[in-house]
Amino acid sequence: MTLTVDAIRECLEGNIPSLVATCAPDGTPNVSYVSQVHYVDGAHVALTYQFFNKTRENVLANPRATLFLVHPTTFARYRLAATYLRTETEGPLFESMKAKLAGIASHTGMSGVFRLLGSDIYRVIGIETVPGPVVPALPPRRSLLASLRAASQRLNACTDLASLLDEALDSLARVFGVDHAMVLMFDATAQRLYTVASRGYESSGVGSEIPLGQGVIGVAARELTPIRISHATTEYGYGRAIRAAAAAAGMADRLETEIPFPGLPESRSQLAVPIVACGRLVGALYVESTEDRRFGYDDEDALVALAAQLGTGIHILQATEGHDEAPAGAAGRLPVEGAPVVVRHYAENDSVFLGEDYLIKGVAGAIFWKLARDYVNEQRVEFTNRELRLDPAIRLPDISDNLEARLVLLQRRLDEREAALRIEKTGRGRFRLCVRRPVKLVEVAPA
Amino acid sequence: MSPPVDNPPLDAENAAFIRCGVMVSVASRDASHVASLSRALGCRVAPDRRRVTVVLSASQCETLLRDLRETGTVAAVFTQPSTHRTIQLKGTDAALGPLAPGTTALVDANIDALVKDVAPLGYSEIFVRTVLAYEPEDLVEVTFTPTSAFAQTPGPQAGRRL
Repeated sequence: MTLTVDAIRECLEGNIPSLVATCAPDGTPNVSYVSQVHYVDGAHVALTYQFFNKTRENVLANPRATLFLVHPTTFARYRLAATYLRTETEGPLFESMKAKLAGIASHTGMSGVFRLLGSDIYRVIGIETVPGPVVPALPPRRSLLASLRAASQRLNACTDLASLLDEALDSLARVFGVDHAMVLMFDATAQRLYTVASRGYESSGVGSEIPLGQGVIGVAARELTPIRISHATTEYGYGRAIRAAAAAAGMADRLETEIPFPGLPESRSQLAVPIVACGRLVGALYVESTEDRRFGYDDEDALVALAAQLGTGIHILQATEGHDEAPAGAAGRLPVEGAPVVVRHYAENDSVFLGEDYLIKGVAGAIFWKLARDYVNEQRVEFTNRELRLDPAIRLPDISDNLEARLVLLQRRLDEREAALRIEKTGRGRFRLCVRRPVKLVEVAPA
Repeated sequence: MSPPVDNPPLDAENAAFIRCGVMVSVASRDASHVASLSRALGCRVAPDRRRVTVVLSASQCETLLRDLRETGTVAAVFTQPSTHRTIQLKGTDAALGPLAPGTTALVDANIDALVKDVAPLGYSEIFVRTVLAYEPEDLVEVTFTPTSAFAQTPGPQAGRRL
């Protein structure tokens, strides 16, 4: 039976160092350890190029190499005959190897020593199983295909964006046993990702932001490739990403850190998967664990498939939200009583404060300011997505405006803060502003 | 350039290092310069440090043994997992020989030392004993004269000639 790289890719998790043998033009063989042999596809692997060493010198002159790999649980040994093809120094494969290497380096005490200069891609010509005893494989803790089927059916049943997002996180917990997860949406104008739903954290972090390209999530989104780290690493930690983002002072930047990112402080395994629909970045699905090596290649495959369905679902549900339905019957209004709540709006960045508390900024801030103004000036409480799209003050981007996602974000921020103003959906493309205290508006013009 | 007669490339300190508690890997190549590779079980160093012998399981490395016989070229890497300390020896006169008395004891001592060395790293005893499992009648010895030695501890200094 001929093996493909797929069949042995657990050997490529980097748990047990791999070996590579090459031969110089003068016929001198060389053996070297490889920090990481990375799975590319059924017929290709990539090796980390960290230093200009003998292996690299040899394969540039004579591309044939032999690799020796050990399976992390059965300890089966494999020899791969391979041919060096090329080196990539940027792009999805490079970034995903760079992130994985950071985890391996940190795990092996090699942080600062291991730095990826390139991904050396090899075609695998043959895989040989080395004779000898192995340890019987343990059954997997669950069938990931069965989990994916169950989660897929749950997502298919959702009819609005908020429940789709919640169902995705609920399925991860109940079906996949992944207890810490979040969904972030991509804001193409601001080049940032904002958390719209999370599960398994002390505070939801809804509204917290990650710049595109920062940390595991930002790199996965920018490169449109899954990023998976199997050991704790400081390099991709969010404390660092967020500090960097806040480095440039100014009110907008300070507000970015106002809502703390809900990551695990003791995260040891991380997997970020871009959510793409119709070829466009929609957001990111992120899972993490306090266990080392919690997510393997198969988990990555399952989450990529789940994220694809999530992306399609988000795309469809956002598109259909725009179609007005007959308005729901006017609900009995709650009594408006007590001290007035001061809604302060800073036109500079559309940030909104309720009293002294920061609520939200950007498009979601502009939406809330419109709702509050219309309520105070016209006593209106019933709104449609369509009118928000047409309102020039909200400045929604022309394409993929994510309006529904921004409404979910706004609704959750208001609910979490138990605010005197809330929004509730009254039908497809319709919602109501629920006001429980008198509202006083304060507009702060740009300085 | 061959090393001075009274100064073998393998110094006393490195000779002591490779004798016990190291993962050993051995490579050769065929006539068309395709490399062959296998793990070895242990090694022995002659008292004058001019000859090094590595021990292999024959059934696990048929291609490597063929290449060693046909070309005599050899590269052997010795690593202490706990410290990442690694050296590589190279030679051109590798020859297969009969099993010397005491070889299985030498291999067993190396495996026992490795079990202790990797335990703090989280690698189980069963890992070492499975990867380095052997049948005594399957063992072969390969002896060569190291003509060069290289430091190969990971880092920018890897590849420096010793």
